[in-house]
Amino acid sequence: MKDHELIFEKSQESQHAYSLPKDDPEWLGFLPDEALLRKGPLLLPEISEIDLTRHFSGLAKCNMGIDTNFYPLGSCTMKLNPRINEQAAQLPQLNRTHPLAPDEAVQGNLQVIFELLKLLGEISGMCAGSLLPNAGSQAEFTGLRMIRAYHESRGDQKRSQIIIPDAAHGTNPASSSLAGYETVTVKSNAQGAIDLDHLAKLLSDKTAGLMLTNPSTLGLFLPTILQITKLVHDAGGLLYYDGANLNPILNLVRPGDMGFDVMHINLHKTFSTPHGGGGPGSGPVLCNQLLKPFLPTPRVAFINDRYQTIWNDSTSIGKIASFHGNFSIYLRAYLYIKLHGQYGLRKIAEGAVINANYLKSRLQPYFTIPYPQPCMHEFVVQADRYLNQGVRAFDIAKRLLDYGVHAPTIYFPLLVKECMLIEPTESESLATLDHFVDIIRQIVNEIQNDPELVKTAPHSTSVKRLDEALAARQPVLRYSIKQR
Amino acid sequence: MDFVSNKEIQFEKMLKIIGVDCKEDLWKDIPRCLWKASPLEDDGLSEFEGLNHIEAIASKNQFSLFESYLGAGAYEHHVPALVQAVTSKPEFLTAYTPYQAEASQGMLQAVFEYQSCICALTGMDAANASLYDGASACAEALLMAMRLKHERREILIADSLHPHYLDVVMQYLGGHEVSVKLLPVLPDGSLDLEKVAIGEQTAAILLQYPNFFGVIDPVAKLFETSKKFGIITVLCGNPLAYGLYASPNEVHADIAIGDTQPFGLNLQFGGPYAGYIACRAEYVRQLPGRIVGMTKDAEGKRGFVLTLQTREQHIRREKATSNICTNQALASLSSLVAMLWYGKQGIAKLALSNYQRCAYLKSKLEGFSKVKTVSSKPFFNEFCIELSIPVREFLDYMRSHQIEPGLCLAPFKFERSNQLLIAVTETKSKAQLDRYIQLAGDLLS
Repeated sequence: MKDHELIFEKSQESQHAYSLPKDDPEWLGFLPDEALLRKGPLLLPEISEIDLTRHFSGLAKCNMGIDTNFYPLGSCTMKLNPRINEQAAQLPQLNRTHPLAPDEAVQGNLQVIFELLKLLGEISGMCAGSLLPNAGSQAEFTGLRMIRAYHESRGDQKRSQIIIPDAAHGTNPASSSLAGYETVTVKSNAQGAIDLDHLAKLLSDKTAGLMLTNPSTLGLFLPTILQITKLVHDAGGLLYYDGANLNPILNLVRPGDMGFDVMHINLHKTFSTPHGGGGPGSGPVLCNQLLKPFLPTPRVAFINDRYQTIWNDSTSIGKIASFHGNFSIYLRAYLYIKLHGQYGLRKIAEGAVINANYLKSRLQPYFTIPYPQPCMHEFVVQADRYLNQGVRAFDIAKRLLDYGVHAPTIYFPLLVKECMLIEPTESESLATLDHFVDIIRQIVNEIQNDPELVKTAPHSTSVKRLDEALAARQPVLRYSIKQR
Repeated sequence: MDFVSNKEIQFEKMLKIIGVDCKEDLWKDIPRCLWKASPLEDDGLSEFEGLNHIEAIASKNQFSLFESYLGAGAYEHHVPALVQAVTSKPEFLTAYTPYQAEASQGMLQAVFEYQSCICALTGMDAANASLYDGASACAEALLMAMRLKHERREILIADSLHPHYLDVVMQYLGGHEVSVKLLPVLPDGSLDLEKVAIGEQTAAILLQYPNFFGVIDPVAKLFETSKKFGIITVLCGNPLAYGLYASPNEVHADIAIGDTQPFGLNLQFGGPYAGYIACRAEYVRQLPGRIVGMTKDAEGKRGFVLTLQTREQHIRREKATSNICTNQALASLSSLVAMLWYGKQGIAKLALSNYQRCAYLKSKLEGFSKVKTVSSKPFFNEFCIELSIPVREFLDYMRSHQIEPGLCLAPFKFERSNQLLIAVTETKSKAQLDRYIQLAGDLLS
């Protein structure tokens, strides 16, 4: 059995892993109408349990994770995923409950939902929320639908635009389109902040709201935030806070105090729930009194000493996801918050900021630092000086993989040339940060003396540089027998 | 407690190198009036206390003591032990989206295999890497159909679609110019075929298989007619059902969606589950979400990458096919492991066993005088019964014997206030089923 074979290529006739509970003769006679049955074969592999086990062990060896590698992926907050959270999430009394069970039978699950929302409300300076959205972008969609419902409830049909900064994450304009809004882009100035003059020009009676991340996607706190929120409110719009960058301001600044009306939190970023190779996440949405009536259903209330599910509400925008959202995920976040306490969360924020500024200072000899002022949890560097040797940020990212470090985010935000967005998080120790700087120094040395090595990286991963253009030109998206 | 590695002694050194006197200097761009005082008094709990706290909350749940016959989009199935063993591997659990493909071949290959399994089950040509759940998958499929047929402005949806799913679909369609017509349902839970009006104004038709009531509708016939008008046919199906019943490909579906929760995912009070979407080759470029494709590396070795990314939000922004970024990766990995553990033979046998246990309970209940099974149509995993005693009485009695007998349909829109939706899976043994029958007989015979 060769390494890296697809599971389909390891199939051996009649072999299998499954076992099934014994059937009783009394029901063996029941069969559906022949005409309705599946005719075509089920082209799945036949594979034994040991071979299946080894297959996944082999795949795991070809994958980097936080547990194994420093992972400074900007805007993703790759902090430690504590194992105690995993233990809690496996408790069968919480893990094997049906979402439509009667409330009396699931008071424990409902308590987690109720208490977590209170905790998140305190942290964010909001008064109410919902744990339903499955991820940040679904929360953005939810928040925008709530903003729409709010304007419609005021009889205001004119507000058709959402203002979004040019440096915003792609989900912001995508969610805006999905919610039926037109996206209007506001420019950033040379200091990496919103251009207030441009914003003032864009605001009108067509403005439904502004979506903003603060600290921004450049890792910078917007010093003019209070002016921004006032400008938008004065124009009759509302403010949506994209909580992707909440980590450095936990219990230091509250989005509600900044003037935001509605926001989301990425539990899989700020609150350590595991990234899982790309999900599942959880994106609770939180809001102030103005938008509270429009929160989606179901909601959990505490009435007469009992937790109750409220499935319907006349002012709610209705459902945005099935059942109660990603319970097992936000259960982990709940425990994470209880373990830290309010002070522990503050320590996260302080540690994240110091770690980022330290790394930024130490990387100064090697990269252009476009925004020299103190950063928050992440910062942008530019590798444009190495274009002279024909080396791009892309190449440096690939060479980092050879040193056992996952590359930072590259080419986001789009407005900074040859950029890398670096977010160490508060999890990392000083030695790890210093080691990263040493690696960068070595790579810069290689760029001067042996640029080909960097331009053709990576060399020590399970595959060499992959041809992305080929994959898009001739898409092969599944295994089919003729590929053998 | 916290997980911040650096302590005062490191931070002091670091602040010197940064060139500031104290950490407050790093917050100088934050308006002072926004600064909160440090909440020093609440330092949280130890691991031990934290776990105790969660266990105390868990012990308030009575549900695990019950034998449950609840379904309605969330099904109790055995989760193979291998699932947990694989998904708890640190390289899968603690990785993120495979943006650096060379360092993420493990996850990328797993997703490719998952896409392949979904195609094998559904008979479709391409699948994506997962969506949030069955509900949003329905919405995404209809938006996809609208992009494909952008001159058409009407969508037909079976009123026997899961009500939660329908609500989510209406939420997503709310931002778009489209008219939705619901296809009416007969008292027996099947589609009223006489009242289905298909025309050239229709962009898409969405049916569920089995539908909310557990009934298998004559999907093939309806879809065949729909294809004559160039309508995009969308089938929302329980993937386990395809181990027994005709696949989406065989019933002329263009897009297949649903939730892979029955494979490898515990009930988890509703999530995370994992939506799937698959389609015929000609529609691939309109699929939402992440897709993994095969390619070669610089030495000609096979590898996998995220592909067709120009559909996605990080490139197309407001013109993306969807806003989805994080999906349900680890949950779809759980489903992949389970689908492979059952494999070619196992899925067919599992589906049949589910069908037969359900048929057994249904046939026995049919024998009681105070109950009617609502439908004689084909079914899978679930069926409805109409009681001639108050539902409340039946629920209370069964619950007093630690059985949750089914979902009362009174709170739903259907005007079936004295009906119960009962789900039976392979987790119910003959002894358990006979006990249900015996106790039900106490009230219903």
